[in-house]
Amino acid sequence: MYDVVIIGGGPAGYVSAIRCAQLGLSVACIESMSDQEGNQRFGGTCLNVGCIPSKALLDSSQRFYEANNELSKHGIDTGKVNLDISAMMKRKDKVVDQLVGGIGGLFKANKVTPIQGHGKLLSNKKVEVANGNSTEIIEAKNIILATGSKPIEINSAKFNDTNIVNSTGALEFSAVPEKLGIIGAGVIGLELGSVWARLGSEVTMLEAMPDFLPMLDKKIGKEVFKEFTKQGLKIKLGCKVTKATSSKANVNVEYDEDGTSKDEVFDKLIVCVGRAPNTENLLSDDSGVDIDDKGFIKVDDYCMTSIPGVWAVGDVVRGPMLAHKGSEEGVMVAERIAGKHTAVNYDLVPSVIYTHPEVAWVGKNEEELKAEGVEYKSGSFPFSASGRALATDESVGSVKVLADKVTDTILGIHIFGPSAAELVQQGLIAMEFGSSSEDIGLTMFSHPTVSEALHEAALAANNHAIHIGNRKR
Amino acid sequence: MSIEIKSPTFPESVADGTVANWVKKEGESVQQDEVIAEIETDKVVLEVVAPVNGTISKIVKQEGEIVNSSELIAEFNEGKIEDVNEVESNESPAESKIDESKPKKLGPAAKRIIAEEAIDPSTVKSTGKDGRVTKADLVNHLNKKPTEDLNKIKNTLVDTNIAFSESRDEKRVPMSRLRATIANRLLTVKQETAMLTTFNEVDMLPIKELRAKYGAEFEKQHGVKLGFMGFFVIAAIQALKKFPLVNASIDQTDIVYHGYQDIGVAVSTERGLVVPVIRDADMMSLPDIEKSILDYSVKARDGKLSMDEMQGGTFTISNGGVFGSLLSTPILNAPQTAILGMHSIQDRPVAKDNEVVIRPMMYLAMSYDHRLLDGKEAVTFLVSIKEQLESPERLLLNL
Repeated sequence: MYDVVIIGGGPAGYVSAIRCAQLGLSVACIESMSDQEGNQRFGGTCLNVGCIPSKALLDSSQRFYEANNELSKHGIDTGKVNLDISAMMKRKDKVVDQLVGGIGGLFKANKVTPIQGHGKLLSNKKVEVANGNSTEIIEAKNIILATGSKPIEINSAKFNDTNIVNSTGALEFSAVPEKLGIIGAGVIGLELGSVWARLGSEVTMLEAMPDFLPMLDKKIGKEVFKEFTKQGLKIKLGCKVTKATSSKANVNVEYDEDGTSKDEVFDKLIVCVGRAPNTENLLSDDSGVDIDDKGFIKVDDYCMTSIPGVWAVGDVVRGPMLAHKGSEEGVMVAERIAGKHTAVNYDLVPSVIYTHPEVAWVGKNEEELKAEGVEYKSGSFPFSASGRALATDESVGSVKVLADKVTDTILGIHIFGPSAAELVQQGLIAMEFGSSSEDIGLTMFSHPTVSEALHEAALAANNHAIHIGNRKR
Repeated sequence: MSIEIKSPTFPESVADGTVANWVKKEGESVQQDEVIAEIETDKVVLEVVAPVNGTISKIVKQEGEIVNSSELIAEFNEGKIEDVNEVESNESPAESKIDESKPKKLGPAAKRIIAEEAIDPSTVKSTGKDGRVTKADLVNHLNKKPTEDLNKIKNTLVDTNIAFSESRDEKRVPMSRLRATIANRLLTVKQETAMLTTFNEVDMLPIKELRAKYGAEFEKQHGVKLGFMGFFVIAAIQALKKFPLVNASIDQTDIVYHGYQDIGVAVSTERGLVVPVIRDADMMSLPDIEKSILDYSVKARDGKLSMDEMQGGTFTISNGGVFGSLLSTPILNAPQTAILGMHSIQDRPVAKDNEVVIRPMMYLAMSYDHRLLDGKEAVTFLVSIKEQLESPERLLLNL
């Protein structure tokens, strides 16, 4: 009998497995994904078909775009730059393979037992593992469900693996589609749209919601919308897709915009309208684990399910579907099983859109603070006033710091601009320690860096930014 | 091995003390001779140090509790000082408690506020990671205290229907022991003596000129600045020798004459006024007196004056001039019979040889116990001091 058996080897499951092993627990990790040769592939969506391959393509496509459009500004004449899409895809696959292989090595080093197959939770903390025709029952003192999520399929545009694809398919086009349609202008849609737009696609995004990225701070959101439109993404809001008809050559998409029926023809159509928790064939009828009406496994603040000793972490439970949130939950559960009192701070989960420039934020935005009736102060600093950002020709966007009006405690940081993800992380560390905007203001920043924009925004919250005029109060 | 930590042995004149501050917490490792607690008495703050390396196993007397001389205040375990890193790397499931007692590094904004508002961070409710005090904690600490008390006051005012504006905060805190002692003693003196003050003024030009002329040489020779105070002490000693009754004190129905001149010098500190005593000042030279005044003021500032150094005294000099006082009536330092008040030096027009001239003038005030001194003696005593200061050669000639 194992101390812990984990179903799912994605960023929540594999991280949890390693932490369990470090704490002296005997642990097995069940994963069903395998490559064509039948080798098990850990890493889940994130490593195989999500975070990592998309970042590889985002970086490659940005280089291509810069070589074509921006190097001349720096006085570098390259002539016409050619694109070898298969080489680009091969590099991406190599990165992914290296990281997937790395998890195998980590498991070996930490003595985590990998189990290949599909895991299903039975009653009394037993797990049935099905691999091909064989099944096996294993028992554990604790079971962690970490089965992740999968792209939502909509009836009006069913996936067909050729020209109507999900996010996974969108990372594997063998040629650049001339006209690319994307249903859903969320985080995934914007990242994938950016990749193909830079490589030459004419990208149209159809978003059913009337607001663009409603979770963003409104002012930052406006800047983001303006910049992406300038980059060539045609973002159409309030457009409900009614029907997508696939033919051999293309896809005809019919949609409703403000009560008017319209249609458009695309070479490829990506559907990324969100993700749903993966609980298919995961729980036996007598497992006793509760699921909510949206299909998420019900857990408490510490990720324990309705059955003591059965835990669930990552995309399959409430909260944002983010790899880092899942990993931290995995660590928390491992430590709680080992008797520690670890907790995840759900107030400080950072979010990032890896476009160019990046969008990143943590904590509350102005609209949320207003709704909660919190009195706050705000400090903004545009990258156009940052020496480093200008020098690197990355001067789009701004940093915004929101702090409590009385106590000065930082409540939210919202960034659109160069290295936004890394900048938000600096602020997040401060927030985790209950910092005030003054604390960041009193901290020394290297010059010249784009990080200085965070420093200046924090100073601006107290009306004494140095490199920009301050609001009169 | 367990050791009892006791409060220090207080002198006879000190009845009891209060635990002012536990510098070290229960369970905290301390090295031999490290200060673990501070005990405030009527006169000084006494430090309690660790007898050997070890840990405080139990605090018996909490902060604010009254302790008697040589009373048990804590239990102490002798032992090796634990290596914190070693303990932390131990991966036992139970959470390490070591961190909770260590002072946490503060963020820059918290540091600024603590310095500006003179807050003891250990009194602030902390919400930060690992018990750190954040800026928000300090802002709340500063905002909350008066309003809590304000609410109390408001509640008591409901019946009387007095309008109470938020801007008129009141705050009620207990007096420190030192303040309570000062208050008691001053009131007793006022009630139990027949106190009267006589005034005079002194032309400080000669002393100023003397200081200007010899100040640098004096400092070079003696390693201490030539101040004003030394002259006053010497002038007072010579006057006290001429008027032994001023140096005497009343004990019930007896008059006690003191065959020595111990001069108390009032020093203002953050905790309150203290009066260290220059013992056998009549035997000392001016440089020695200046040195001992400097030594006392440093000790007073650091709260390091010992009980002995503040006992006794036959006459006191108080200098309100350092704060800019032009004229005041000092209160006697019982059971002494007189106290001399110095004041600020001010350029004023005065008549000298039928001419109006501008001179650096200082008002002198001497409060005395009329039960023992008649006006004639007191006034002549003060005039004697005035004359010596206006003609410093008299200091040399014992005139």
